[in-house]
Order: sequence, then structure tokens, then C-alpha cells
Amino acid sequence: MRKQRLTIVAAVLLGCVLWLSCGKQEKSQPDSQASDEGKKTVYVVNYPLQYFAERIGGDEVAVHFPAPSDEDPAFWMPAPETIAQYQEADLVLLNGATYAKWTEKVSLTESRIVNTSAAFSDRYLQIAKAVTHSHGPGGEHSHAGTDFNTWLDPQLAILQAQTVKDALVDLLPEHEALFNTNMTQLEIDLLALDSAFQALVTGREETPLVASHPVYGYFAHKYGLNLQARLWEPEKMPSDEEWQDFDHSIEHHPAKWMIWEGTPDSAIAVKLKEHGLDGVVFLPCGNIPEEGDYIQVMQQNVGRLKPAFE
Amino acid sequence: MYRTLLLTWRYMTFHKIKTAILVTCITLTVYLPVAVHLLVDDFQVQLMTRAETTPLVIGAKGSRFDLVLQSLYFDAQPPESIKMNEVSKIRNSGFALPIPLHVRFRARGFPVVGTTLEYFDFRNLQVGQGRPLAILGDCILGADVAQKLGIGPGDYLMSDPENVFDIGGNYPLKMCVTGVLARSHSADDYAVFVDIKTAWIIEGIGHGHQNLTDSTDESVVLKRSDDQVVANAALPQYTEITKDNLASFHFHAEPDDLPITAVIAVPHDEKSGVLLEGRYDTDKANAQLLRPVKVVEEMMGMVFKVKRIFDANVVLVAVSTALFMVLVILLSLRLRRREAVTMFHLGCSRMTIFRLQAAELIIVLLVSCMLAGLSALATLYYAPYFVRGLLS
Repeated sequence: MRKQRLTIVAAVLLGCVLWLSCGKQEKSQPDSQASDEGKKTVYVVNYPLQYFAERIGGDEVAVHFPAPSDEDPAFWMPAPETIAQYQEADLVLLNGATYAKWTEKVSLTESRIVNTSAAFSDRYLQIAKAVTHSHGPGGEHSHAGTDFNTWLDPQLAILQAQTVKDALVDLLPEHEALFNTNMTQLEIDLLALDSAFQALVTGREETPLVASHPVYGYFAHKYGLNLQARLWEPEKMPSDEEWQDFDHSIEHHPAKWMIWEGTPDSAIAVKLKEHGLDGVVFLPCGNIPEEGDYIQVMQQNVGRLKPAFE
Repeated sequence: MYRTLLLTWRYMTFHKIKTAILVTCITLTVYLPVAVHLLVDDFQVQLMTRAETTPLVIGAKGSRFDLVLQSLYFDAQPPESIKMNEVSKIRNSGFALPIPLHVRFRARGFPVVGTTLEYFDFRNLQVGQGRPLAILGDCILGADVAQKLGIGPGDYLMSDPENVFDIGGNYPLKMCVTGVLARSHSADDYAVFVDIKTAWIIEGIGHGHQNLTDSTDESVVLKRSDDQVVANAALPQYTEITKDNLASFHFHAEPDDLPITAVIAVPHDEKSGVLLEGRYDTDKANAQLLRPVKVVEEMMGMVFKVKRIFDANVVLVAVSTALFMVLVILLSLRLRRREAVTMFHLGCSRMTIFRLQAAELIIVLLVSCMLAGLSALATLYYAPYFVRGLLS
């Protein structure tokens, strides 16, 4: 009897432990706090900034990007505990250009915040006539207003990386030489990426293209692309009305390729094909990619875009 | 000796009122100047301590005293607003850490201080219960506010309407109490702290409302076009910031144009402080920069002038009390002449009669001094609370 009771108690305890461990967790990067002890902490609001800070800061700083991998960091709202982590950070890197609007609605230590795009705020692009829509756990949102995907223009990405480097130098002046060396290497990679994109589109800038989402503004602006944006989700079939509107628009903008943020559902791809368009995936890389890093993902984007410009 | 004291004591207890009047007069004469001295000393210490730990204050041109007292104690008349670009200017100068203050509203009578997280580090304020400010609408209470209102983390606090007769004025904001500060024995114990953005929402510069683009309620829409929707005054605004409506909150002004009442500037070193001071020491400057220590010293100078007048008054009161005592003793001796004659006939020596009179005087003086001393001790203990109450 006693043994039975003990077994039941053990089973209940095990169940509780399993339930707690299966509870909703923010799927973020692996916890590396043990190896980060004693290092200055840098919190960022998107993956490109994490990549720049890690490339430039090397092992001297602990870079954290706590947004869950299944959320768009631009529209994510962190929990109070995560906000507390941002508050305690030695440096908080913002993308600026209204990216991560949650930063305007929480209390952060202003003196530790660096807006990485402030240097080119006069070059921000505006997105007109964007309506509210919903996808992912972030809920309803709108892309109207300032376009915030600044890092998709490699030249602007270099300026952002430069600001990251300056902020790290202010934080750890004793490592200035290392940060400068790392910045030079990163700049070489970003310039190579710029050259690759430029080589891809040179002479074919007028090729009509359609983007599923208004996130490629800076990319299109940098390379002078003839790109029109829709507001479609890869996993959600557009309505008949949207297809009609799409047909109407491609009469004046005869695109053969649609650029997607993610692989569209097969049904959408088939229907798109029926309308005479193929799909190509260009990952904006706002969140941590499933494979590779920022440069690798952008290089893959170059490769995937090739057919669209042939 | 014992008999003398016993006789004197019996006499004094028999003439209770006369004795009480004498003791009261002497007690007050001794206590009042001591109490004033203690209070003024404490007032000076508290003012100077706060001023010494606040290197520079920047605010609108106008009354220096109001600006410093409001920035340090949140209690004077709010000065004219300056713009947030003063904060940007100071930060960009690289001379000092700027801490904006927005102290214009109250919540159940206590000042609502809008600021940034740097303020808590600067004043070394610790959260005693709950958690720090996190999102818009959060507030942290000073220890005395929490105690007097009987609220704590998880409770709500409404901001007071600016003017109860202004029905078109700002909506009071229902704030969520997220924490209570550990007691700091300063003006911060009597304040309600919010993020500066929350203070702007209380002021009505920022607000949240339903999304007009999607709204099907045409009664709140004045004009609708392809790229613009104009709402009328019937559009309800949220008076509480919740997780569900947080995203709808926005500001109708450029960040640099938003109003603040003052900036506390913490220079990186003495030279930076002087250089920053130089930037505001021109006619072209839109704001004034003050060293609170100097302003408080000037204010204390005035207080000491008043104190000197009071001290002179106390001397006059002491002299009149002494004369009053002499008069009372002389009259008492005259009244007790028959009593003295009787005692003499009973065999008392003139010396014994003198000892009885002297013992009475000594006891009255001793009791008075003791009462004055006890009162002074009590004043010494309660002076910080009393002065802080005056300053908050």
C-alpha cells in the first residue's frame, strides 16, 4: 500500500516536472550565460545586429537576442522578465527606423541605447498605403510608415555595423584595435555582398518584380529595382479579391517573378504559376536563420534571385 | 535637607496652577530657540544633502528657487516646460548624463515624477517590493506613498485630473503599481514614479484608441480618404494601458519636441560641468543651468536672516520671562510673609525659610529644563520627518 502511494506521488511529481518543462517557452538562442560571465552584455532587437555585434565584438562581449525564433522581431512584444534583461544590459542596440516598436512602449536605460541607423535617418524610406494584417504570434500589425528593413541595403548595413563598432569601442575602449580589425573584415564581406547584388541586377534593373511583402524597400531602392509589393503571407492563400487585384496590377506591371519572405504553400505556388509567375525566396533575415549566418543567407539570396534576372 | 524638599514639594503641589505656569513659561523659553535651531539645522542638512548630490539642473528661464525646489523635491510651482531636445543636446555634448524630469501631475495628492531609469541609479533607489518600471502605464511608489495610501504591487493608482472643472481636459490614467521603493529618507519617499513616456500620456500628448482604419463605427469618423482618417471628439481614448491596447498608444509630437520640466545633468567630471555651464551662460540659451548647491545656499541665507530676527525675538521673550519670574517670586514672597512669620515663631531659622524659597525655584528650573530637554530630544528625532514633510 505504502509502495503504491509512493509510486503515485512520484508519478504526480514527474508529471508536474514534465508539464512545467513543456510549458510555453520563448524559443531563443541557446543559453550561454555560463561562458558569458564577466563579459559586457549587449542586447539587440534583430538578428542582423546580433550578427554585426558578434562579428565585431568577438569573444569580448556577450550578445543576446531573446526574441523567439517563430516571431517577427519587428512586431514582437517581450515579457516583463525579458524587458528587465534589456534594462540590465550594458548596451542595447536598436535598429531604428521605427523597427521594434515595443522599445517605444517600455522603460529602457536611455544612456545605454544606441540607434544604429540614426546616422542615415534622412534616408529612411516610407511605405505608403499598407493595411493592417496579421501573421505569427505577434498579432495584428501594419507596415505603414517608415520602412525599417534597413540592413537589406548592404551599404546601410555597413553604416549600422560602423555604429555598432563605435558603441562597442565606447563600452570597451581597451579592445578598440580588435574591434577595428573585425569591422574591417565585416565590411569586406558586406562590400562583397553588395558587389554580388549589383552584378546580379546591373543592366536588368527594369525587370518587373513583385514582392509578397513590403520589406524589400531598401534593397529595391539601392539597386534601382522595378519592384511592387503586395501584402501576402506564404502560408495564407490570398482571397479572390486579392487575386483579382493582383491580376489587375500585373497588367501594368508584367512581372514574371514574385519574391517571398518564406517558401509559399504549394497551393499558392500553383495558383501563382497559373497567373504566369514563379516564386523565389529572399530571406530578409530579421530573425535567426535556421541554417547559416547573415552573410551566408544573403549569399544564398543572391543565388536564388539569379533566375529572376536572367 | 529631606524635610526642606518635602515642605517645598508639598507647597508646590498645593499651588499647582502657579507652579504649572512657571514651569511652562520657563520650558517654552528654553525649548523654543533650541527647537528652531534643530529644525533649521535639519532643514539645512536635508536641503544641502539633496542639493550636493544633484550637480546641475537645467530648466526654463524664470524662478531659480522654483526650478531647483521642483526638481529636487517635486513640490514647488511647476516651471515652464522645456523640450526634450535639451536632453539630446546634453547627451550629444558628451559632457554629462542627462536625466529628464516631468513633474506636472499628481496622483491622490502625491507628485507623479516622469523620468528615465537613470534616475533610480543616480539617486541609488532600490525597489523594495515588486519589480521596476517595465511598460507604459507602470508606476513605482515611494515608501511613504505606499504606506499612506495602503497600496502595493498589483494595485492601481489613478492620476488626478489637472482641473476638475475642465471637462474637456486630460483623462486621468489608471496606472498599474509594479513596485514600491525601499525607504530612502528623501523626497523620493513621497513621490510616484513613472516612465517619462507615461507622464506624456497623462498630459494627453500620447494616447491610445481603436484602430480607425479598421473601424466600422462611422459615428467617430469625421472624414475618411484613401490615406487618411480623421476622427471626431467622440472617439473614445483608453484610460488604462493594458497588454491588449498597448500597441495602439502613440505620440502626436516629435520626440525632441516633447515637454519636460527639468533635466538633471550629471557631468562626467568637473571640467565637463564647467564647459556645460558655459553653454548655458549666454543670452541665446533657451534654458538656464543652475548649480542647486548655490541656489540652496542662497535660500538658506534668507532662512538665516529670518532666524536671526527670530533669535532676537527669543532673547526678548527670555528677558520678559525672567522679569515675569522675578515678579512672581516677589509677589509670592509678599503673599507668604504671614506664612514666613508663623514659621519663624514656630522656631524656623531665617536660613531655613530662605532654603525653602530657593528649593522651590531650583525645582521649577530643573523640571523646566528637563521638560525642555525631553522636548528637544523628541524634536531631534522627529525633525527629519517634519522637515521632509514640509519639503514634499
